[in-house]
Amino acid sequence: MDDWHRFLIAIDKSETSMRAVRYLGQMVRGLAEKHICLLHVYPEPPPDFYIKGGRLDRYQMLREQRADQFIQEATIVLEGMGINGRDISQRICMAEGRTISQMVLDIRKEGKFGTVVTGKRGVSKAEEFLFGSISNALARHSRDFTAWIVG
Amino acid sequence: MIDWSYFPLRILPRLQAHPAMRSIRHQPRIWRDTSNFTSIDYGDIILVDNRYFLVVGYTREGRFGIDDQPKQWVPKVHDLETGESNILKLVFHETYSIKFGELEVKCYRSPEKEARVIDLVRGNPAFMQGYTVLDDADNLVRILDVVPGKRLDTYLQQLGGTHRQYFEEHMLGALERFLVSVRAISMLHSHGLKHGDIRRDHIFVNRDDGSFLWIDFDYDFYLPERPYAMDLLGLGNVLLYIVGRQNFRPQDVLQHPEMGEKVFSSLRVEDMALLARDRVFNLKKLYPYIPARLNDILLHFSAGTSVIYDTVDEFHDELAACVASLRRQTAVRVTGLTASPGPFP
Repeated sequence: MDDWHRFLIAIDKSETSMRAVRYLGQMVRGLAEKHICLLHVYPEPPPDFYIKGGRLDRYQMLREQRADQFIQEATIVLEGMGINGRDISQRICMAEGRTISQMVLDIRKEGKFGTVVTGKRGVSKAEEFLFGSISNALARHSRDFTAWIVG
Repeated sequence: MIDWSYFPLRILPRLQAHPAMRSIRHQPRIWRDTSNFTSIDYGDIILVDNRYFLVVGYTREGRFGIDDQPKQWVPKVHDLETGESNILKLVFHETYSIKFGELEVKCYRSPEKEARVIDLVRGNPAFMQGYTVLDDADNLVRILDVVPGKRLDTYLQQLGGTHRQYFEEHMLGALERFLVSVRAISMLHSHGLKHGDIRRDHIFVNRDDGSFLWIDFDYDFYLPERPYAMDLLGLGNVLLYIVGRQNFRPQDVLQHPEMGEKVFSSLRVEDMALLARDRVFNLKKLYPYIPARLNDILLHFSAGTSVIYDTVDEFHDELAACVASLRRQTAVRVTGLTASPGPFP
């Protein structure tokens, strides 16, 4: 079991994600030792991207610029709850050759995060079948770590 | 009049003798660049890989319920040196959306992906065979072998008899062959590739040995978190067809002489397809002799499911165990040997 004081929170620009950030802030602000990594993972471009003349570096730049906005907002929320900026890190990356949930799980393992937090959108079975659910995937694979799914 | 001096001597005997030359009214053209495939006519020649392919027709395909349409980017051809028949697939990029109620999946025709699949499955009898070359404009032209056989749905229909007879005499054999096809899809996924368009008419039944093989790999989808979901969905649909030997919409149940109002009124939304809600997946309500274990696999693709398959391997393993169990039961029935009670009611 990895160090549960090390929190990895996977977010996007949704209100559900911001709720998860606030929940995490409430839960950890009393802890003397902690580390929070705010993570956003975005997908690879669609199959016709390159045929249409798309450039990967430009795609990545745009995705990362957009993600940086809500990652900064989340940082401000956590700091506003009394969490020291030194205890917060940020990471934005593309799920290259993997699904988003696989990428989150790989980053968790590599960073020895004992607690993974994410928001739950609440999808139908049909949506889950087609588009997947990060929270369900994390819950299903939560071995050696704790998953907090914030509804 | 055709000016034969325009063609190399080595292809002239077959070209002049081909029936296509009797009916065409234009000088056949030789195409080294296939970019503008809509201009390539019947009787024209496509020159790729130093092979002269005479265009003798077009393959056709329709979504079910819609008349088959000729696919101009998929000409049927005749090799003017060897006499071999082939199918060429020319580059045609298109994008469209498939809708399941309010859900939408973006679909792409991808010659690049199909070329990768063809390369990977070379020599694998569970897939159509061929190879890919570049034409003079660097288009990926796929040169495919003609599959000797017929599409799965046609094959199953031609087995004849009632559903009960089909169920007792043929279904198990079809399921065993389908398992090989499922493993083949799992192999693609393990290499990061999808089939992309799994349907009952994209499995062909080999005329020589009855084995199943996949055709048509040029579709791709953008589902970053569930990249293989559409393949999985297609496998569920094919299984439904193999077990039921037809798809039943509620109206079909109502009109069926042996089902009618009684069975129709027993149908619930949970019995229908998970995504499209258009066809009955709970086949046990239509054919009560279908084993519960087999029906349960179908129900994972129904609107009432609480658990969905995550991977093709999960689907395969459950189906393989079910088929093995059915095979044991059949052996007991045929030989009269006793065995421990089977799992099927």
